[in-house]
Amino acid sequence: MALLEAHAIRKLHGSVIALDGVSLAIREGEFVSVIGPNGAGKTTLVNVLTGLVPPTSGTVKFKGRDIAGIGPVRLARLGMARSFQLVNVFAGLTVAETLAVPVLSRLGRGGRVLAALARDAEVHAEVAEVAALFGLTDALGRPARTLPHGDRKLLDVASAVALHPEIILLDEPTSGVGTRDKTAIMEVLVGAARRIGIKAIIQVEHDMDIVFGYSGRIIALHEGRVLADSTPDGILADAQVVAAVVGKRVSDAHR
Amino acid sequence: MIGRAALVLALAGAALVPVAVRDYYATLMLPFFGYGIALLGLNLLFGYAGLLSFGHALFVAVGAYTAATLSSGFGLLHFELILLASALVALLAAIPVGLLCVRYVRIYFGMLTLAFGMLFYSFLYKFYNLTGGDEGIRMLRPKLLGAAFGNLDKVGFLTGPYYYYSLALLVVATAVMWRIVRSPFGLCLRAIRENPEKAECVGVSVRRYRLYAFLIAAVFGAVGGTLLAVPTGLADPLLAYWTHSGNLVFMLLLGGFANFFGPILGAFVFIFLQDQVMSLTQYWRFVFGAILALLVIFFPRGLMGFVGGRVGTGA
Amino acid sequence: MQKILNLACGSFYALGAYFGVSAVRWALGAGVPAPLFVAVLVGSGLALSVIGPLIERILRTIYGRDESLQLLLTFALVLMFEDVIRFFWGTAPQQLGGVYLVYGQVHLGSLTIPVYNLIVILAGGAVAALMGWVLARTRFGRIVRATAENREMSEALGVDIARVYARVFTLGTALGTVGGALVIPATAAMTGMGIELIVEAFAVVVIGGLGSMRGAFVGALIVGVLEAVAIATYPELEMLAVYAIVIAVLVLRPAGLLGKATA
Repeated sequence: MALLEAHAIRKLHGSVIALDGVSLAIREGEFVSVIGPNGAGKTTLVNVLTGLVPPTSGTVKFKGRDIAGIGPVRLARLGMARSFQLVNVFAGLTVAETLAVPVLSRLGRGGRVLAALARDAEVHAEVAEVAALFGLTDALGRPARTLPHGDRKLLDVASAVALHPEIILLDEPTSGVGTRDKTAIMEVLVGAARRIGIKAIIQVEHDMDIVFGYSGRIIALHEGRVLADSTPDGILADAQVVAAVVGKRVSDAHR
Repeated sequence: MIGRAALVLALAGAALVPVAVRDYYATLMLPFFGYGIALLGLNLLFGYAGLLSFGHALFVAVGAYTAATLSSGFGLLHFELILLASALVALLAAIPVGLLCVRYVRIYFGMLTLAFGMLFYSFLYKFYNLTGGDEGIRMLRPKLLGAAFGNLDKVGFLTGPYYYYSLALLVVATAVMWRIVRSPFGLCLRAIRENPEKAECVGVSVRRYRLYAFLIAAVFGAVGGTLLAVPTGLADPLLAYWTHSGNLVFMLLLGGFANFFGPILGAFVFIFLQDQVMSLTQYWRFVFGAILALLVIFFPRGLMGFVGGRVGTGA
Repeated sequence: MQKILNLACGSFYALGAYFGVSAVRWALGAGVPAPLFVAVLVGSGLALSVIGPLIERILRTIYGRDESLQLLLTFALVLMFEDVIRFFWGTAPQQLGGVYLVYGQVHLGSLTIPVYNLIVILAGGAVAALMGWVLARTRFGRIVRATAENREMSEALGVDIARVYARVFTLGTALGTVGGALVIPATAAMTGMGIELIVEAFAVVVIGGLGSMRGAFVGALIVGVLEAVAIATYPELEMLAVYAIVIAVLVLRPAGLLGKATA
């Protein structure tokens, strides 16, 4: 059974058609990249898939449950997490605190008003574990705003991973980062996902090297519609997609 | 830590005041205790949750009026019960108000809270039969831990048993708030303040937690209000007027918000400054306005900002 | 329009009122014919608006900062103005007596309305219309609206933001002071009128919607009528009714009846 499925999603912003009949199904074990030129509707698709924005028509189901517009809080509880394109951190909180919040939320302890957080060993252990997976152990005591850009992206992803989601959606996880760091981030990400037991990863990515290097499946979006949905080789073989989205040089490099 | 030494010193100083200093100053400390507690609540709301309420005086008034009504209307004089009742009434009042207000942020939140405060004020002012109108309701001398202290006159009571009772209450309230701020809940509040969208994405229900903060602040406000009613012997409508809320915010800013001990310092300085300035000139509002203006422009971190930025912050 | 919640505008209103009273008294004492007192009121109001730029300078220091700080600063100004008024005019209410009756009265059915009141109503309508015209048709008006919509863009396009803000603020001040002056004949200048006004103004703006002149007009009408009706029927409900409406509006339509929905 598909973990996440979308059926005939249409999303209109006023009279602008952002998504025009998008259908897809993500199964356990898949690493899917969503690609497409700017304005193709990728971020809108992610917003719909993560229940942030309800579609104008069509259905989105996670583990069989309708999640259209249910909002991030309930979604997190159901087992889906996301990271953001523009770095999103708790600027004034330390790395440890930032990671503690999703852990608390997952353990259901966020509402404890009189308990002493400093003495919660389980939370600390979990925070340490996630930090270690992402190479942030040295930064645990530092305020998030003092981290370099790459580390902040890692922290953003780490917060999502700390929720132990079944599916994680990443909106351009390597944007704004130099090439060497990009691979580093991806390796960390994949490693962490495996350790935590995340069942599927969906990412929106522009960097074709990353896309072809890591994805088992690629969905190409163009003007709100799915242009192609297949394996990397299948995509490369599709001249239309190559022309519209992938770009000739990259595809040559991957032949 | 602010330095255990400094805290102990302050506590000792406060404990010695009734003995060491003129009665006048001892009685001046009493509103400080009340405001200190009320401000701890406001600071949770603003300094930690990021919501500036311009209607906090509403709950202070609720506390005072509940206490006054219970004492003179129903003859209930056991202060412990009165405090409990004030807290409960405030909680009940805060639930609908809070549910409504936390849906909005920043200026809308401020406006809504202001409106509710004024709503209560008009109610207090106009419904003469229920609330005594602009005359208010009398607050009778309560029994502390069951004792009536009938042998003491008003000043003796206020600078004696009541003083230490209030001081103890402030200490207890501070300890409780300290715990709250350092709890998982406190961290989640700060996360919400920093970045509400991200907080939601990691599973923290922003609205619910803001509501909790609002409720807690309301309870602290009411307890403070109850303490305020006893020295004056009166609960009057002006307690709910928006300028009273403004003063509360002023005190918060003065001491420094987002810092745990800021509000207490702010309340203290405000009370004594007000006393001094009032004795110097009848135009104390002007002086205070000027001070507030200077604070806002030059020292938005308040007095605690001077003492040391990291002292007692939630981090 | 400037996205500043200026609590002190109530104080301008009060200042205008008190100043107006003094000005008219002086004028009448100096032999100015009674019917011209309106001109004196308006004139004194306009003259007082010179404090506008001064106050604006003060507020300028915190434009970029948190709104709560702005609110607090204007609150500080309110406190200061209260005592300034107290200093110059004392605490007893100031009145002009029956001067306004010089315009006579009008009988509508069973009601007797002083012509002056009608004049004020007309003036209010005229000013509103004028403001609307200025904003919609003149170059200044367009600049103000553009700046309100998108400050950085306007700046990039060469608009001198500081001057625009200064002018808008002064305009606002003038409206406040003149308004305060004009209201005097019908009521009296009292302590706390500035604070009371700000509460009403707040209700008006919320109901009508922030950022909309038409909204302010509609809001003012609603509040005024509501208050009058309430006083006539259930006096206890007067302010209560207004606040209840404010809360209702904030809940149902946070942008107000005609406002633009920006938080």
